[in-house]
Amino acid sequence: MEFSELIRTGQAQAELLRGPEMPPLRGTLCVTGHHLLLSPGPQATPDLWLLLLRSVDSIEKRVAGDAGTITLRCKDLRVLQLDIEGVEATLDIARSIEALSSLESVITSFPFFYRPKGLRLGEAWHFHPPERYYKRIARETRAWRLSEANEDFSLCPSYPRAVIVPRAVDDDALARSARFRQGGRFPVLSYYHAPRGTVLLRSSQPLTGRQKLRCAEDEELLRAVLAEARPGARGFIVDTRSAQAAKQARMTGGGTEAKAAYPGWKRLHRPLERGRPLQESFVRLMEACGDPEQSMDRWLSRLDGCRWLSHVKEALSTACLAAQGMEWEGACILVHGAEGTDSTLLVTSLAQLILDPLSRTMAGFQELIEREWIQAGHPFQLRCAHSAFSHTRPKHEAPIFLLFLDCVWQLGRQFPLSLEFGEGMLLALFDHSYASPFGTFLCNSEKERCLCEVRTRTHSLWSGLNQPKEQRKLRNPLYVPNPLAIWPSVEPQSLRLWQGLFLRWTHPPEPSEVAWEKVWQIATDQKTEGSQPTDSASEPQP
Amino acid sequence: MSLLRGLLGMELIGISVRLFLDFQEKPASLGTFFILIDKEVIYICPFNGPIKGRVYITNYRLYLRSLETDSALILDVPLGVISRIEKMGGATSRGENSYGLDITCKDMRNLRFALKQEGHSRRDMFEILTRYAFPLAHSLPIFAFLNEEKFDVDGWMVYNPVEEYRRQGLPNHHWRITFINKCYELCDTYPALLVVPYRASDDDLRRVAAFRSRNRIPVLSWIHPENKTVIMRCSQPLVGMSGKRNKDDEKYLDVIRETNRQINKLTIYDARPNVNAVANKATGGGYESDDAYHNAELFFLDIHNIHVMRESLKKVKDIVYPNVEESHWLSSLESTHWLEHIKLVLTGAIQVADRVSSGKSSVVVHCSDGWDRTAQLTSLAMLMLDSYYRSIEGFEILVQKEWISFGHKFASRIGHGDKNHADADRSPIFLQFVDCVWQMSKQFPTAFEFNERFLIIILDHLYSCRFGTFLYNCESAREKQKVTERTVSLWSLINSNKDKFKNPFYTKEINRVLYPVASMRHLELWVNYYIRWNPRIKQQQPNPVEQRYMELLALRDEYIKRLEELQLANSPKLSDPSTSPSSPSQMMPHVQTHF
Repeated sequence: MEFSELIRTGQAQAELLRGPEMPPLRGTLCVTGHHLLLSPGPQATPDLWLLLLRSVDSIEKRVAGDAGTITLRCKDLRVLQLDIEGVEATLDIARSIEALSSLESVITSFPFFYRPKGLRLGEAWHFHPPERYYKRIARETRAWRLSEANEDFSLCPSYPRAVIVPRAVDDDALARSARFRQGGRFPVLSYYHAPRGTVLLRSSQPLTGRQKLRCAEDEELLRAVLAEARPGARGFIVDTRSAQAAKQARMTGGGTEAKAAYPGWKRLHRPLERGRPLQESFVRLMEACGDPEQSMDRWLSRLDGCRWLSHVKEALSTACLAAQGMEWEGACILVHGAEGTDSTLLVTSLAQLILDPLSRTMAGFQELIEREWIQAGHPFQLRCAHSAFSHTRPKHEAPIFLLFLDCVWQLGRQFPLSLEFGEGMLLALFDHSYASPFGTFLCNSEKERCLCEVRTRTHSLWSGLNQPKEQRKLRNPLYVPNPLAIWPSVEPQSLRLWQGLFLRWTHPPEPSEVAWEKVWQIATDQKTEGSQPTDSASEPQP
Repeated sequence: MSLLRGLLGMELIGISVRLFLDFQEKPASLGTFFILIDKEVIYICPFNGPIKGRVYITNYRLYLRSLETDSALILDVPLGVISRIEKMGGATSRGENSYGLDITCKDMRNLRFALKQEGHSRRDMFEILTRYAFPLAHSLPIFAFLNEEKFDVDGWMVYNPVEEYRRQGLPNHHWRITFINKCYELCDTYPALLVVPYRASDDDLRRVAAFRSRNRIPVLSWIHPENKTVIMRCSQPLVGMSGKRNKDDEKYLDVIRETNRQINKLTIYDARPNVNAVANKATGGGYESDDAYHNAELFFLDIHNIHVMRESLKKVKDIVYPNVEESHWLSSLESTHWLEHIKLVLTGAIQVADRVSSGKSSVVVHCSDGWDRTAQLTSLAMLMLDSYYRSIEGFEILVQKEWISFGHKFASRIGHGDKNHADADRSPIFLQFVDCVWQMSKQFPTAFEFNERFLIIILDHLYSCRFGTFLYNCESAREKQKVTERTVSLWSLINSNKDKFKNPFYTKEINRVLYPVASMRHLELWVNYYIRWNPRIKQQQPNPVEQRYMELLALRDEYIKRLEELQLANSPKLSDPSTSPSSPSQMMPHVQTHF
C-alpha cells in the first residue's frame, strides 16, 4: 500500500490555533505519509510546525462559505483548530488525516522510518532485559533461575523469551503450569525483596473452570516459592477481581486458586476497575476538564463523578497491600486478575516503586517499565489505540498505563525528593505510549515485536530520552536517594488531580516549565556552592 | 526561670518534653508560669482511641504526655485556642470514659478528656481551664500581657507607616500624609496616619467622614509605582432608603479620579453581592449610584458576609474532623462552598489588581464597614501587584498595615479570651485571606519568600494569645492598652528565626504581577492546615523539601564554623590569600554568598 493513495490533496493555506496562550500560526498546510506540516511563509520566524498523524485521536470538520475548520483532538489531550481556505481542500485534508491516522499496520508506522541524528539503530534495545534483572537477584539468593523455556514463545505468547522462576521447578513443569493458566501466563518472579527475602510474583488466572480442575505442577511451583523463601513462610494471592467475579470466571473456564490446593497461600480480593469502565472514566474526566462552559461551582462533584481519583486510590491501596505483605509480614505475594496483563502489572510495578529504591532512579524506572510493562506483555497497541477523544466505540482501549503514571505522580507529589525523575518524564511516557516516533511502545508483546523486527528497525525511546539534552526536562532536581520504603497516604484528601497532565493545555497560572527551570537553577546553584565547603571537609583537621 | 521561659517559647516538641520532665521533678511556680494542674487523665484520641496521659495546665497552655509505652503522643494546646469547654457525662454516667470534658478549639479540632468519676475530679480542671482560656470573663489579663519572652529582634519595629508610604513613593504631588486622625477623632477604627489626595483639605475629609459608615473615608492603600493609579479603601456610603447624596463625598471621589489622567473613570468595587448592597440601604447604608457618581463605574464582587463564611468553615470542620469524609469526598467538599468563597475572594482581588495594573484606572474598594472583605481584597491585590509584600518582612508589613492598623476586628472575629463561643461577630475572615495566600503560593511556587509553615504559625498565634499582634479591634484600642509596650510581637518570634520560614525555591523578582487562576480546577483544600490533626492524612512531617533545606542550612552553619576554626588555626599563614588553591580563605567569598 502506498501512502500517496490516501493523501487526497497536496497543500492548502491554513491558520492553526493552538489554545488560548499560544499565538496562531499561519502558513501552508501539507499532509505527508506520517505528518501534518504547517510551513509558515518565508518571512515568518517560527520553524516548521509538525504533528505526527498517529497522535490524532479524533477529527471534526465544518465548512462555511469558502472556508473550513478542522478540529483535531490529539492523543496527548491537546485540542488544535485549523482554519483552512477552500471547502474542497478542507474536506480532502480531513479525509487524508482520517485515513492516515487510523492505519493499523505496525511496520508502516513512523518509527520504522524515523532516523534521528545522533542516534544509532539498535542502541539501548538491550538495555533492560530480564537477564540483567536476574543477575541482580542471583547476587542475593540461589533460589531462582532464569528459564528460557519460552525461547520460541510457545509456552506463553505474551511473555518474553526468558523468565525468572523457582530453581526447584524444571522447564517441563513450567510448560504444564502454563497450560493451566490463561494465555500461558504461569507464575513468574516480578520482584525480589532482598531486605526480607520475600518475592512478588505475577501470573494470570488458573483455568480451574466449572470442574474445579487442579494442576500439580502449578501447585508445586507455588509450594516451591514458599519453601525457598523461609521455612513456614506464608503467601498471599492478591486477586484484582472481586470474590464474586473470580467465582463467576469459572463459568468461562477461568477461576481462582482453591484454598485446599495451595497450602500456605491465602487469597485476598481487591477489585480494581479495568477495561471499559476505566476508559469511560478517562473520557468523562477529559470532558469535564475540557468543558469551557461548565459552571465552576459544580466542578468538584463532577470530578467526583468521573471516579478517576477513586481508581487512583484503589490502585495505590492494592499496591500498598502487596508491599506491606512483603515488608511487614515477610510474606510472598502473587498478583493476578484474569489475563494478568493489566491491573496485575499496575499492582506489581507500583509495589516495587514503594519498596525498591533502585526502581525510583532514572535508570531503574526505565528498567521497571521495560520489564514490568513492555516485556511483561501489556498490550500497548490495543490499550492505547485511542485516548479520551475518539468517537469510535472503544474495543480494547483502557488507560491502565496512564493510571500507573498518575499513581507514580501521586507518589512523587507526596515524596518530592525520592524519585529521580520528574513530572516531565511521566508526561513523556504518556505521550509516547499513545503515539511516538520511537518503537518502544509498539505492538502488544515481545513475540509481536520480534515478528516486526522492532528492535532492529526502530529506535528505542530510552536512547531518545537518555540524550543529555533531554535530561533537564525529565529529571527531578530535588532528588536525594531514599533507602526506605515510601508509603503513600491513599486517603482521598491526599490525592490530587494531576493538573500537569489533565489540564496541561488549558491555561495554567504559571507554566510548570518556568517554575521547574527556577527550581533547577536553585538546586544546581546549591550543589556547586555546597560542593565548595565539602572540599574543605577533606582537609586535615587542625 | 530561663528554663520556664524556654518552655514557653519552645516550638520543638522533643525539647519541651525534656523540659517538662525537669519540671515534674521540681514542681515550682515561678514568675508568670504556674503549673496549675498536674494530673492523670484519659485523652480520648479520635484516631487511636483512649490514651492514658498526664496533663499539665499552665496559664498559657494545656500539655498532655502519653503515659502509655506504645504511644509517644503529645498534645500541646495554647489555651487561647479554646473556644468552648463542656462537661460531658455526670457523676452517675455509666460506660467507660463517659465522664470528663469536651473542649472545642478554634483551630479545627476538638479535645476530649475522661476523668475518674469519684470526687468531682474534673472540677478543678474545668475551673482552671475556664478561667485561663477565657480571662476576660474573669477580669484577668490576656496572657500576652504576662509573657516575658525576649527575642533578638523587636517585631514591633517591623511596620512603620511613614517608611512604608515612603517606600511607595509617598507623599508626592498628588497625595499627602495627614495626621488629622492623630487622636482617632476623625475615625476611631482607622490608624493615626492616613494618605489622602493633596487637593482634599482636612475639612473636606471631615465632611466626607459624615457620609461614610463609621467614618471610614476613602484613603490610599497602595499606589502603582509606574502608572500612579491607586487602590483606595473605605466603607459604604450612607445612602439609606431615601437615596441621600453628599456633594462632598462625590467631589472627594472625583478628586481621587483626577489624580489619574490616563482614564477618566474611577472604578468602585463593592465586595458584596448586589442584593446585599441594596438590603443595606434599609439600615442606612448603600452604594454609589450612577446618578450621583457619574464619573465612576461600580462593580459588585459577590463575596458573602461574615456569617456565611463562618457557617461554611463549620461545614468544612464537619467533614474533616474527627473523621474525614471518605466516600464522595469531593462532593462533600463542594457542599461546604468553602473553595467557592475562596474563589470569589481571589477573583475579586484579581479584578482589582488587573484594573490598576492593566486597566490603568484608580480603584476604590469597600464592603459594608470596610474592615473584612475590603481588607481581603486590598491586601490580596497588593500581594499580586507588589513583589515586596511577598517577602517575609513585606508580608508582615502587609498584615500589619491592611489588617491590623486599618481595624480588622480581630478581637471580635476571633474572640480572644472571650467565652461567648456562639458570638455572631466571630468569623474566619483572616483565615480565609491566609488560605488565599496559600493558594497563590501553590500556583507560584517560587514567588514567595515564606513557606507554608510561616502561614500556619501566623494562624496558630492568631488564636494563641501569646503575642500582642492580633489583640484588639483597632489601633486606638491597642494604643490605649499600650500593646506595643506591654506585649511581644509575633514578628519577633518569626524574624529571630527566619530560616525556618523560608521557601527554598524563592527567586526574587521585582515588578512581576501575579495573576493566580481563580478557577475551581486550580484551587484545592489546604489539607496541611485543615486536616493537620489527622495522622492518616498527614504526609511526612515536616515537609521533606523544607526538611532537606534545613539540613542544608545546618550543614552550611557547620562548615562556616569549621572554616572559622581553620582560619583561626591557620591565621598566620593566611595573610596572602594566594598561597594555595585549596586554602579556606578562597572559599570565603563563596560561602558568604549564602547570606
